[in-house]
Amino acid sequence: MYRRSAAIAEPVILWFEDRKIMAAPGDSLAAALLAAGVSVFRRAPVSGAKRGPFCMIGNCFECLVEIDGQGVVQACSTEVRQGMRVYMPRGQSPGEGD
Amino acid sequence: MNAVPVRPEVAVVGAGPAGMAAACSLAESGVEVLVLDEQPAPGGQVYREVEKVHEQRPEDLAALGTQYRAGLELVRRFRHSGAGYLPRTSVWEITAASEPELAIGTLHDGAAQMLYPRHIILATGAMERPTPFPGWTLPGVMTVGAAQTLLKTSGLMPAGRIVLAGTGPLLYLYANQLLTAGTRPEAILDTRPATSMGALASLLPALAVQPGALLRGLGWMRAVRGSIPVSSRVTALKALGDERVASVSYESAGQSHELQAELLLVHDGVIPNTWLAMAAGIQHHFDQRQACWVPDVRGVGRTSRESIAIVGDGAAIQGAEVAILQGERLAHEVLGQLRGAKGPVLPTPVEPPALRQQRLLQRFLKRYFPPSAYFQLPPDDSTIVCRCEEITAGEIRKVAALGCVGPNQAKAFTRCGMGPCMGRKCALTVSQLMAQVHDVSVEEMGHYRIRPPIRPITVGQLADMPMTGEETGSAADPPGKFASANSSSSKR
Ligand code: FES
Repeated sequence: MYRRSAAIAEPVILWFEDRKIMAAPGDSLAAALLAAGVSVFRRAPVSGAKRGPFCMIGNCFECLVEIDGQGVVQACSTEVRQGMRVYMPRGQSPGEGD
Repeated sequence: MNAVPVRPEVAVVGAGPAGMAAACSLAESGVEVLVLDEQPAPGGQVYREVEKVHEQRPEDLAALGTQYRAGLELVRRFRHSGAGYLPRTSVWEITAASEPELAIGTLHDGAAQMLYPRHIILATGAMERPTPFPGWTLPGVMTVGAAQTLLKTSGLMPAGRIVLAGTGPLLYLYANQLLTAGTRPEAILDTRPATSMGALASLLPALAVQPGALLRGLGWMRAVRGSIPVSSRVTALKALGDERVASVSYESAGQSHELQAELLLVHDGVIPNTWLAMAAGIQHHFDQRQACWVPDVRGVGRTSRESIAIVGDGAAIQGAEVAILQGERLAHEVLGQLRGAKGPVLPTPVEPPALRQQRLLQRFLKRYFPPSAYFQLPPDDSTIVCRCEEITAGEIRKVAALGCVGPNQAKAFTRCGMGPCMGRKCALTVSQLMAQVHDVSVEEMGHYRIRPPIRPITVGQLADMPMTGEETGSAADPPGKFASANSSSSKR
């Protein structure tokens, strides 16, 4: 879906649902996941339909993911961190449970 | 490094072209100004990460073009202006006019804080117009703006079968950027209606004053049309797929078509991001031609609240060049208000010729690329309008027909606009659909009531907020956590 214009020099390593992801320092979590070929970030709470990032500027809230120790956040507005453990949200709203 | 000033004279929300220009001008006149911005670096969406791209990714800089590169100059001026700067900071509330004190609620790194400026300048910019159509919630359907953000922030280029749909200058600009970088989309599905007389009539005045910009634009359009198949007057656009988008179907010139696509990028122009201004109780009206809500503005940027001004694309969509010129002029207006009779009398500078020229150009662009009818009133009742709560156009039409009088009541009946995005992606559509059913103007139909907090904030974050009322707030933060615009620039 996307490719990087430059190779990653010093990768930041993180996990999404137990899949290892190599990110570039300074990437947003959403950019890192998209670049790694992840397109489904969560399920819509009502129908369970699969969803992924749409706007990339913090407005649509389609990129919600759950980070260990941080709760549910917008992946497009969260910077990657070494060793981050990321999951599809398990029934929380953003801001809940920190 | 400074601690964050809890009572700056002026707080500016947004470090895009308008916010940076206003802040530079105020700081250079000796005003204590603090700029709050959600991004890690100044630039707004238009000049997003221009410093980083300039330093680290010369090939992306070349693809992004001259207008983007021009942002570097303003960002550098901002870094040296002496303006205070809080990156990675979102604003979730501005106190109501009835409150005793003007205050801004901020959130930085999970910590909430109230700031008490004397004056606020909102420079919250634009957002892409909602483009509801069947299948737009499938993974792999994104906005053109989103793809451009990925290019600026992380150097991501779309790969595989890419289709662009919708219309607007940004769509063609992005298509041209892709071609420059050696990536060729499969098709552009253009939803623009036939060129109106109004567009033709506004072309000549624009051409007279801005021939360069227009010819450059025509140059891209030609380059794009020469390399990418463009379908005109596209309607009945649908994204299809089970788990994610696999193909796109549409009609053009009376014929149905289907194309394979793994990435469908949509765009239909931009509208002011009014969420914070609305939450602050500033009066807005509906701009019929642009089909969007805009704040009521007098002078350069005075709103219905004396101590809150608004400037840039958040006030009216005019693009980055106008935003910079207006930011400078607004700084004079605000300075006059702050210093009153005591200070030097600074007349608001007369409208510079450059501003008038830009306005003529913008007027032509708006008439050439009007909002697409197909996205304004989705004809297919199964189209999801509210993405968060999955409420369809048919459900909105139904509650309106059953006597639901306005968007706030529709919210109560259907839950539309009650999800995490707080209506950012459906407000416009819901008002337009309901106005259509009731056969009244969108202005009469009204907008969702927007109440703070406009960003998610937890009770815990509120409870942990330092008591900043007595000027001790800055000490509550570790020194060096906040910095001036200059010192936070790591490598320049
Ligand atoms: S992608 Fe829209 S909020 Fe993150």
